Amino acid sequence: MADLQVENLALAFGGLKVLDDISISVAPGELFALIGPNGAGKTSVFNCISGIYRPRAGTIRFSGQSILGKTPHEIARLGLARTFQHGELFREMSVIDNLLAGRHARFRTNPLAEAMFLPSVRREEVMHREAVERIIEFVELERFRHAPVGGLPFGIQKLAGFARALATEPKLLLLDEPSAGLNRDEREDLARFLLRIKHELGIAMIWIEHDMQMVADLADRLQVLDYGRTIAGGRPAEVLSDSNVINAYLGVAEG
Amino acid sequence: MSKPLPAASGHFRRSYADEFRLIETRFARIWATVFTLCLLAFPFLASPFYVDLATQVFLTSIGALALMLLTGIAGQISLGHAGLIAAGAFTAGILFKEFSLPFWVTVPAAAVTGALLGLIFGLPSLRLRGLYLAVSTFALHFVVVYLGGEYETRRGFSTGILVDPPKIFGWEIYAPRTWYLVLLAAAGIALLVCINLMRARSGRAWRAIHSNETVAEALGIGIARYKLLAFVISSSMTAVAGALFAYYRGFVSIEAFSMYLTIQYVAMIIIGGMGSLLGAILGATFVTLFPYLIEGLMSALPGADRLAGSVFAVNYAAFGIVMILFLVFEPQGLVGIWRRLRDYFQLWPFRYRPVGTKS
Repeated sequence: MADLQVENLALAFGGLKVLDDISISVAPGELFALIGPNGAGKTSVFNCISGIYRPRAGTIRFSGQSILGKTPHEIARLGLARTFQHGELFREMSVIDNLLAGRHARFRTNPLAEAMFLPSVRREEVMHREAVERIIEFVELERFRHAPVGGLPFGIQKLAGFARALATEPKLLLLDEPSAGLNRDEREDLARFLLRIKHELGIAMIWIEHDMQMVADLADRLQVLDYGRTIAGGRPAEVLSDSNVINAYLGVAEG
Repeated sequence: MSKPLPAASGHFRRSYADEFRLIETRFARIWATVFTLCLLAFPFLASPFYVDLATQVFLTSIGALALMLLTGIAGQISLGHAGLIAAGAFTAGILFKEFSLPFWVTVPAAAVTGALLGLIFGLPSLRLRGLYLAVSTFALHFVVVYLGGEYETRRGFSTGILVDPPKIFGWEIYAPRTWYLVLLAAAGIALLVCINLMRARSGRAWRAIHSNETVAEALGIGIARYKLLAFVISSSMTAVAGALFAYYRGFVSIEAFSMYLTIQYVAMIIIGGMGSLLGAILGATFVTLFPYLIEGLMSALPGADRLAGSVFAVNYAAFGIVMILFLVFEPQGLVGIWRRLRDYFQLWPFRYRPVGTKS
């Protein structure tokens, strides 16, 4: 049984077909890569899954439950978290506060108790602070924990965005180009974190990526989009040698 | 809880609960104690004029904190602030005049009125942003001013409603000193409530919404719920400030709540420093005292008698200029100046805080 089952997804903006008959199926614990040239519709797939866009047709089921038509925050509460291409962190807030905001839905406090900072609120805050600290340790952001995110280097910001998604304790993580803008060292760290998430936390991931070497090395399966259609899917070794994929994505060989 | 506080240098937090302490070091506690004692001693040492000024500052601080919560923190611009203060003042005034209800009924009633108005006039925020939202909250101002004016004319209180001094447990709050202490306590409670909300889940949700709504929603934060919550809490605090204002002045008249009052409150949070609770208090202090400062300066000028007629005009103009100067040269407001000064002394001989430490 798949954790996430997308079937025949179609999306259009006016007359522009963005996604056409896309089907994706991700198994629990799988590291699933979604690749394709710019404008192929990869981020649009994410926006449909996380409820930001309303697809024109198709079904999206998560853990056996249809999530089509639910609001983004309802979907997030079901255990689906995402990162954004440009980090999109809350810039004025510290790393800790960003991560705690990620755990928002897990808090059980009400505003009246918060206004008085009752012992129950204090307990919850400490409990979630501990959980957040474990994630900070996991992605090695200890020395930046109290820094306002807006002032940090881009690589660290992206890592913080990654950590914020993890802080929601998701069952499925949508990663939108986590390696874009990272240098070589940071990419190697990222690869390590992806493998640790897969093996230690067992969280399924859909991973949009342009670095073919990383995809070939790490992904369990991948799917290639071009102009809103699926052109190939399967194990990295098969897909990356497929001539359609090479033509669409890597360019046609001369001669 | 009863762990002895460390001295400022070599201070390390030893548990997560330590991070919630409002006073973290012995040094901070000494200063907080001295400051509190000064505040408590002030009405017994200063002349009635200064006691009245300080009392006004406390009253204004409550309204400024409420607006800071809504605009500076949750990012929802409102131009209905004077309307909400008026709503609170009129709720208290009318309930007192028509039904002779006591203080401890009218003030909570004002809070409820404020909350309801906040809920209704917060609804447009679910669809509108920025300037458009500001214009829709503007409607609140006119609705309240119209209703208040109608009430005054129909009931024949065209000069305003007289409100008797409140009684708590048969003890009348009348003397300026008593008012000073009562409103100091009220402002203290308002500040504590704001601090508590800010360090809990609601405060984080508001800041997240302010920063990026789409992302906040994708993280599971209910945008509509928290926007409305910000409106409700802020409006009910503002209305309570309005009710207290009515009792303090002993008089409610719709003329006191002009558009200029709203602009003054917006100025307070900008001059104080957007997004900071301390900023709200500094801004409220500055804007409340500013006219008296200008007046004092002008009377010290040579030929003060001839200038006396233009004090009002100079006041408005100077206020506008100060606003512009702050926006251009100190966008972080008074709180930005305060932080720089504090860092200078705290870090000397160094200049910058290490990355990732809590300030």
